[in-house]
Formats: sequence, structure tokens, C-alpha cells
Amino acid sequence: MINDFEYLAPKTLKEALALLDKYQDDCKVICGGQSLLVLMRQGLVAPPYMVDIKGLNELSYIKDEKDGLKIGATTTHRTIEKSAVIKKKYPVLAKMETRLASIQTRNWGTIGGNVCHADPAGDPAPVCIALGATFTMTSSKGKRSMPAEDFSLDYFETVLEPGELLTEISLPPVPAKTGTAYTKFNVIESDLATVGVAVTVTLGAGDSCQDIRIALGASAPIPLRTKKAEAVLKGKKITEALLAQAGEAAAAEADPISDIYASDDYRRELIKVLVPRITREAMANARKAK
Amino acid sequence: MTTKFTVIGQRVHNVDGTEKVTGSAKYTFDVVLPNMLYGKVKRSPYPHAKILKIDTSKAKKLIGVKAVVTGKDTLGRKQGIWRRFPELCDEEILCRTKVRYIGDPVAAVAAIDEDTAEEALDLIEVEYEPLPAVFDPLEAIKEDAPQVHDGVELNININRHIEWGDVDEAFQKCDHIREDQYKCSSQAHVCMETHDAVASFGHNGKLTVWTSSQSSYYIQRLYADMLDMKESDIRVMNRHTGGGFGSKFELDSAQFPAAILSQKLCQPVKIVLSREEEFTATKRRTPMYYFLKLGATKDGKLLAKEARVITEGGAYTAMGATALYLTGFFSSFPYKYPNYRYDGYRVYTNTAVTSAMRGFGAPQSTFVGESQLDMMAEDLGIDPIEIRRKNGMTPNYEVPGQAFIQSCGLHQCLDKIEDHIKKRGKLPPNHGIGVSAYGFMSGGIFNWFNTPYAFSAAVVRINIDGKVDLYTGACDIGQGSNTTLSMICAEELGVKLEDVRIFSGDTGICPPDLGAWGSRETLMNGNAVKRAAADAKRQLLEFAAAHMGANIVYDLDIKDRWVHLVDRPERGVSYFDIVKAAIRGKDGNAIMGRGYYTPHRKGMISPAYSFGVQIAEVAVDPETGRYKLVNVTTAHESGTVVNPLGIEGQLEGAIMMAGGYGYCEDQPMDDGKILNPSIADYKLIRSLDMPETEILEIDTYEPEGPFGAKEAGEGLTNPTAGAIGNAIYKAVGVRINDLPITPEKVFKALREKKQKAK
Amino acid sequence: MKKELKFKVNGQPYDIFVKPKALLSDVLRIELGLTGTKRGCNSSSCGACTVMLNGMAVKSCSVLALQANGAEVVTVEGLAKGNKLSPLQRAFLDHGSYQCGFCTPGMLMSSTALLTENPKPTKEEIKEGIDGNICRCTGYNSIIRAITAVVKGDYKEAK
Repeated sequence: MINDFEYLAPKTLKEALALLDKYQDDCKVICGGQSLLVLMRQGLVAPPYMVDIKGLNELSYIKDEKDGLKIGATTTHRTIEKSAVIKKKYPVLAKMETRLASIQTRNWGTIGGNVCHADPAGDPAPVCIALGATFTMTSSKGKRSMPAEDFSLDYFETVLEPGELLTEISLPPVPAKTGTAYTKFNVIESDLATVGVAVTVTLGAGDSCQDIRIALGASAPIPLRTKKAEAVLKGKKITEALLAQAGEAAAAEADPISDIYASDDYRRELIKVLVPRITREAMANARKAK
Repeated sequence: MTTKFTVIGQRVHNVDGTEKVTGSAKYTFDVVLPNMLYGKVKRSPYPHAKILKIDTSKAKKLIGVKAVVTGKDTLGRKQGIWRRFPELCDEEILCRTKVRYIGDPVAAVAAIDEDTAEEALDLIEVEYEPLPAVFDPLEAIKEDAPQVHDGVELNININRHIEWGDVDEAFQKCDHIREDQYKCSSQAHVCMETHDAVASFGHNGKLTVWTSSQSSYYIQRLYADMLDMKESDIRVMNRHTGGGFGSKFELDSAQFPAAILSQKLCQPVKIVLSREEEFTATKRRTPMYYFLKLGATKDGKLLAKEARVITEGGAYTAMGATALYLTGFFSSFPYKYPNYRYDGYRVYTNTAVTSAMRGFGAPQSTFVGESQLDMMAEDLGIDPIEIRRKNGMTPNYEVPGQAFIQSCGLHQCLDKIEDHIKKRGKLPPNHGIGVSAYGFMSGGIFNWFNTPYAFSAAVVRINIDGKVDLYTGACDIGQGSNTTLSMICAEELGVKLEDVRIFSGDTGICPPDLGAWGSRETLMNGNAVKRAAADAKRQLLEFAAAHMGANIVYDLDIKDRWVHLVDRPERGVSYFDIVKAAIRGKDGNAIMGRGYYTPHRKGMISPAYSFGVQIAEVAVDPETGRYKLVNVTTAHESGTVVNPLGIEGQLEGAIMMAGGYGYCEDQPMDDGKILNPSIADYKLIRSLDMPETEILEIDTYEPEGPFGAKEAGEGLTNPTAGAIGNAIYKAVGVRINDLPITPEKVFKALREKKQKAK
Repeated sequence: MKKELKFKVNGQPYDIFVKPKALLSDVLRIELGLTGTKRGCNSSSCGACTVMLNGMAVKSCSVLALQANGAEVVTVEGLAKGNKLSPLQRAFLDHGSYQCGFCTPGMLMSSTALLTENPKPTKEEIKEGIDGNICRCTGYNSIIRAITAVVKGDYKEAK
């Protein structure tokens, strides 16, 4: 049962930040509410004050700029899914969105809300990490930014301090000969990931791996960038043997749980299979790219 | 057998279709009455415990709370569906002294709104003394296991035995014998509308109930048992019901507490179970341990089958005893076993109650039987279709001492499926097609409920404008019985479907019917409706004969609103004119027709059976174990098809449910606690997961059924899990013997196979 | 403290006061008496509560009512024009795309939103369009056939 709370709907970011400063831990921010309301209905979260930022249109945008793509934090999943510029320049992001929950969720829920909820099984975070995204947070004191992979601290916990809002996700321009791929393993098509794998590969001469980023979902308390797995491939010519090795390394780096959906052993086995598979797909995308 | 029907066999809109597509259909979920209160139920957090003390004083003081009740406010009676056997009536619903599963109700609150009621629950203080609990029936059946019910030895709730021939002797004569073990899982009904009730006691002491139910008569009778009231002082009205699937024909923990609260207050009380309560505290499919022994000659003639089953009963009997019996009977389907033996034991455990769910024990028996039969076929080097052909039931077959099967289209189904497989041709790598055959009942002949009433009854009333009112206790839970029965009525009476208006599931105005379960409505209630319509027609034809002055050699009939001579159909008169004449002839009384049906001398199980053969095609990803349901094609026969749109819907819906049973639905537990009590966590097939489906109809005619019709809807849930298991084996060579067949299980089996090969 | 909610539902303007915690589904069903929209779960998973909000399909159980301030909401009761059913409603009737009917309002709203946004979806897009809605009775394929028939042009909008 949802608790009674005071509802505040600021009209500008400045107003919103002032409210967060005022109420600190006594308030929760709601935007799409697709994760928050589930928790509140179960009584797991019961804030006395609710700051609704759904109406902050200034935070809902997709800007294609010289130094990269900027996505406002309150941009809905569906907007990202349908965005022509994203489909063209970062198609993996749009594709990931097509299997995120349901259209209803995507119409109202936001990418910012999703990554701030910090469920390691979420889809956007591993893809953002693989794309080298930067997250920007704003407070009344100013802004700070960090790589996507440093944003989550633990299950459902991020670096956000009281008074801070995630305001922008920015994606760097895609280098030449670079491709990204993402998959999530599940039993029902649009279900949360049992294991998620996102890989970006930049190819050098002769199918060599100039650069690589591997990020796992639902494999650790946070969306995990597996640097040891990346090290297996980086700077080398990619062979099947190396791919298998990278898969093993990623599985070893991961820290998955056993739950009713899968054992930790099976999750590791899936990582061993999916990291090579998705790396191959990213390579194919890279070869097609200019 | 082809007859020219004017209504039956047409693709019609459901008679309640427009209500449903406009959102104007009213469910119990939507009922709001003046002065109505909202109720919530407090439940045990322990799987097994003594109730030492319940303090409701704080809850009663909360503003907005009108009443708090516990087991002490009831008469302390116990309900049971097997009413003929008092020892099987074991469920208090509101527990007085002991709780037996996590979720067992101990108290209930009525308040001015749901939030207040929920808040009040937290203020009810219950002191428990936890007791040792047991969760696995194989553990519960041991000497030193905790006793779930006093005086029940080894926790064996009930056992059933079915036997014919001499299996021990027959096994001696077999060329090949297989022994296999299986574990069949639980499954949740997941009706879209949860269990709910609005109970309203008047100051005259009479009770009126709106509820989501498969049998308003059963609920009425069980209320009478529990409240010590006369049945007729209780009116149960089944509104539109958002699904049943076997979960809604026992008095439940929305209906009973709502009535107890209302009795105290003389105000209507509405209780709607949350989805979490629905998963944890309503009935579920019976999990079973299956031990099968099958013997055959080297050319594939099945000589003997022995089945031993231990089922997880959960805390109370409910309909679990029937599931135990039917699984044993349908383990012999759909083949001719000269020798057969079944021993089944239902064992109490401290878990949520296991009872009836679509298929009623037959999805389990079909999964294990069809899996084992495919292995037998492989052992003997015989094609899976061929071994089924060699042993399959045929029309007019007697299951020795048990059942007489009249119509049976199994062999035609096998032929059609064989053609389908041939046409599919060579499969891509890691694809497999698995076959599974089934047979299922059209309602049960047993009366363990101990009703004195005919199993189905109907009344037809023809009004002056020619419109027909049809009254029947049958409950439409979405399976379309309102439409099917209206069609049967219209066909028999010779009017159009739109001339019939059905009143169903209201014990205040409809004659009793045992309800929608065991796939009985079309055959049993259909017969009652047909007879009622025939009775009314006969009265019309009496007047028609006089009115038309036809020669005595001629028969009269009505078709499409035309009363005519059968041999000279052009000689006739309008149905509407005859109605007017007949009503005048009866001193201004509407024409009333009555009909009823109770199966007599139809064996031990059912008056008729439907059969089918299904294939599932899967595509397996051998590296991960994930598989896709590509196609499910079913050849089936259900006698004369009354409502074709309805049957197609039943088949496709059955595939979603039965496919889920095979693929992804499960209720994992930890010490009696269901771990996934939400639709987020309980995996269901959605539209992106649904396979392509194809239906191949076989034409048969069932003499026992109305216009030759028999069941379609429950039997179709039987074969899919077996078809999936057999398909995976064909695709990647591993067999999973415990449901559901998850990707992880497939992966581990493949890994084991690879390691063994090294 | 209740707050003012001004919005349109099925073309009708409403000006009411609601508790901040009120969900859009509760306001529609209880305050406005529009019981066509159903609730089937507590985990935002079943889709039975789907309505259209500013032309988009959303789960009304997962939208605070106050977030609909200034918005236009369409529920299943708003699909028919007087007594003329919408093309999708007629297609559902013809194809038997419902059985118990409890999920049907949500299914119709998801389908309507799908075709409003994209009048010519592929079969895959149709499946995606209703993937957020659980149906326990029909197995989805009859619903997909009904939507496909509307896409093909077999059902014209009633005048």
C-alpha cells in the first residue's frame, strides 16, 4: 500500500534542485515511476515528500552535437527507441529498447529513471557502458560527470548524493570501424535479463582488436565492465580461441547470484557463451561501419 | 455425420461479446454496492503452527474499521468438496487452532476502504507456536514426519487404486520393459481476475453473494455447510468471471471471510484477493512424483503398464483427491492396455493446497506417458506415430471395467499429424518435432460432492414475442458456455441465436448445475438445454399440428423460425404465429420447457471422451539450452463442433497454458514459501513467445452428446508438455524428466551428455 | 492533502481533487466510475490497466493520477462512437479475440495505441504491441489476427 505523501511538481530544474536540497533524504524523485511505484505499492519505499520531475521538459531531449549525442535524463525509452538519429548512429541503443519491458513501460518510463534505479539486470546500463557513455549529475552546487561504469555502487545504489539529479547521458562520437552489440538472455522475450552482455569493438588492420569494451548485466551487484576479459582481446588479432578465453575471463570476473531464475553456475556458463557470441556480432557491425 | 444445422457450427460472436469489447461487462471486481465495506484477510506467516492467541483489539480501534473476525466467529465447520467423505472435509478456511501453510487465513477485517483494512491487518496481533513442518511428499510419507492433520497416518490423505488384467504376469511376457521416474511441477492458474466476492447478509438472515466462480451451486452448497444455513437462503451470483481454470469452485478465502464479516454487520463486504494472495493462498496444480513401468512386445504392442504416483497434497484435500484419481485413469489413455495397474497416494504437506487445474491430473499423466512411450518406441526401433497407431484406442472400446468409449477419432488424428510431419520435411539443425497424444473426459460421472440434484438442468421460457429465455446454472468463465448453450438451445428450438437470452450461474433463478469443470458444460449442460428446448418445442408443435391440420403421418419441426412438415418443408407457418397460438392455448401462460441430464451407467469416469494428437516443433540453441516454440499443430476431435470460434480459442489458449507448463511456469518454494508470487516473477508466455498454431479438425460424432458434441478445452491442455519434451529429445538428444523443461536443465543435460561422450 | 487534477477522459473534461498517492487506475475506476479498465496484478506486469494517455499506451496502475494533469486520457469506454464500435472492437468480435474478457480492455487500448502510432505494423510489431498484455485465455493469436485484419483494411471506421 502506497503511503500518503506530499506531492511537489517543480516547473524548472532549478526549482527541483531547491526542493531536493530542502528535503534531502525525506524526498524521493519520481519521473516515469515504472520502478518506483512498484516498490511503493509494496511498501518498500515510503517517502514523506515526492518530487515529480516528469514535467521537466528541459531534461527531455536528444541532441546530436559535434562532441557526441546528448540524451536528457527524462527522455522516455520509447523516444529513444523511435529516434531517427539514434537508430542511425547508435542502433544498439534503439534495439535494446525494443525488448525493454513493454511498450507501455517505455512510453512513460525514462532512461534516467532506469539507470538511477540501478537494477544490475537493467538493459540500458551495460549498453551505456559499452558505448563509453558519460553520466552528468546536477545539483544546486553545479555539475559533475563520470563514466557510466562508475555510476552504480551496489544493488539499487548509485553515487547520487541527496540534492543531486542525473540530468544527462552523453555518448561519444562513434570511432571508425566500430560496432556494438547487445543481448540479454532470458526465458520470456521481453523479460529482465538473466544475464546481459554488451560489447563494443573497434577493429584495426586485419581483424585486430584496436579497442574493446565488454559490459555485463545481471552478473554482479552492479552493471559490470569486465576489463580482464577486454585485456584478453585488446591489441590482438581476434581468434575463436581468444574469444573463448575472453568469455572465460568475463565469467571469472563476474559475481552472479543464484536465484529462482538461474544458478550462478549457469549464469557463468551463459557469459562464457554470450561474450564471444556478442563480440562476433559487434565485429560484424564494425566491419559494416565506415 | 453431417446434418444441416442453422445455428450450430456457425462462427458467431459470443453472446456477451459486445459487453466485453466495450468494457461494460461487469465482474465481481467491479461490483460496488451502497453501504459496502472492504475486507482484507490476515494470513499465517508460518507453514505449520498452533494459534495461541489472536488479539484484535488494536485493529478494532482503528478509525474506519467496522469489524474484525477470527475463526472464533465461525461455527468451526470444515469444508470439503468430497462431501460424501466427512474425513476429507478438512478445511476451516478461517483457522481456529492451527495453521497448516504459509497463507492459511486466521482473521479478516472489514473497513471503509481497502487501505484502512490493510492497515488494520498489521494491528492484529497473532501469537503462534511454530511446529515442525514438512514440504516434500516423499518426506511427509515417512514414519517420523510431522503430522499435518491429526490421526492421518503417514500423512496419506487419500489413496486410489485402479487395476485390470494381471500386470505382473504380463510383464513376464514382455520382450522389453522400461522403468522411468518423473517429477511434474505445480502450476498457478493466473486467472486475470483474482478470487473475489461481495457478500451481503440482510437483516432477514439471508445471504446474497456476487462472486467470481466456476460453480455458483457448489459455492452456495458449501456456504450452507459452513454457515449451517439452508441452501435456498443463500443466493450466489456468478457475474462475468475473469477466468477459472479449476481454481474457483471451492469456497475460498475471499468468499467465506466476506460472509462472516457481513453476517456480523449486515452490510455488504467486498474482498478481492491481491495477486500475491492469489499465488500463495489459492489452490494450484498438483505436483506429482511419477513412477512408470511399461512393457511391450518387440514389435511394439503394449502389454502392461504400471503407474505409481505420489502427489504433493498441500494442507487440505480440496479437489486434490479427484486429481489423484484422474491422473491414474488417464495414465491409461489413449492406448489399449490389456493389463494396467495404478496406485496413487495424495500426501498432506505444509504447503499451499493442490487441487484442480485445467486437465485435472491428465497433463501430468500425458507428459510422463508420452515421454516414456517415445523412449519405448526408440528402444524398439519403431516410429513414434506407428507405436501410437498400433496401440491407440478406437471407437466403441471398453477400458476394462472402467469406461466405455463410443466416439474416438484418435487414428484420424494420427494420420493427419503424420501428414503434417511429412509435409514439414527436413528440419533445420537443432530443430525437433515431438508427438503427444491424449484423450480426455467430458465431465465426470462421480458424485462425491453428494448432490441430490441432477448434474445439469435447464429451463426454457418462450415469451409472446417469440424471444426465448434460457435459465441454466452453468457458469461462463470465459470458455464461452453462454454462447455454446444458447446455440444448442436455438438449434433445438429452431430459432435464431439472437432470439435466445441466457441467464446463467445465478442460484436464485437458475436450476442447479455442477459448474464449469472437468470439461462438462457442453455435453452435460448442453444435453439439459437441448432437452429443455425440445420440451418447449414439443408444446409448440402440439399447437402447430392442430393449427396446420397436417395428416397424422407427418412429423413437424421448426428450423430458422419456420414451423413446417419435415417431409414438406414448404408447408409451414411462422414460428412467431405458433408461439402466439400456443400461449393463448395455454390460458395466457408463457411456454416453459424443462430438461436435465445426469449420466447413468456410463462407467466409472465419464460419458464421453475427446481425443487428439499434437506436435510441437522446437528450435534449440545447444550452446545455452534456450529453445523456441516454433509451431504447435494439433489434430483433434470433439464430436460435432457447436461453436467453432470458441473451440479455436480454447485450443490456442490451451497451448499458452500447457506450453507454459512445459517451458517456463513454476512455483519454486523455500520451506513452504512460494518464491515468485507476482506476475513479474512467475513466467508466462506472452505474445512474442507464442508459437504459430495450427488446428486440424477431425470430424466425429458422439452419440451421448447434444447434436453429437463432446468436450474441447480441457483435453487440449494435456499433450503440450509431452510434445515439447519429445521435441527437445529429437532436436538435441537430451531428455528432461522433471517439469518445467527450462533452458538451464537442457543446458546441464547437454553438458552431461558431452562429458559422457568423452 | 488532496490536490487538483484537471484532465480529459474520453473527451470529457474533469476537475476533481485526489490524494497525491492515488493511481490513475484508481481514479478512473473509483472516482470516475469507468470500471472498464481493470487491475490484474501489483507488479506492473499484466497490462490489464492499459489506457491511452496523450495518445500513448501506458499502464494506469503505474502512473500517479496527478501526473495526468492537463492530459487527455482514453479508456476502453471511449473507443466506440456512441453505439458504433471501433474497427478493432468489431474485429475482436469477429475473430473471437477474447474469452473471459478481463484483459480485453487493456488489449484493445494497446492495439488502438499501436495502430494510432503506426497504421501499418508488421506481424512482429503487432506482437510487440501487445506483448505488455497478458492473456490467460486466448493464446494471443486470435488477437493478432484481429489486429492484422484491421491493418489490412477489412474494417473501416464507422461514420
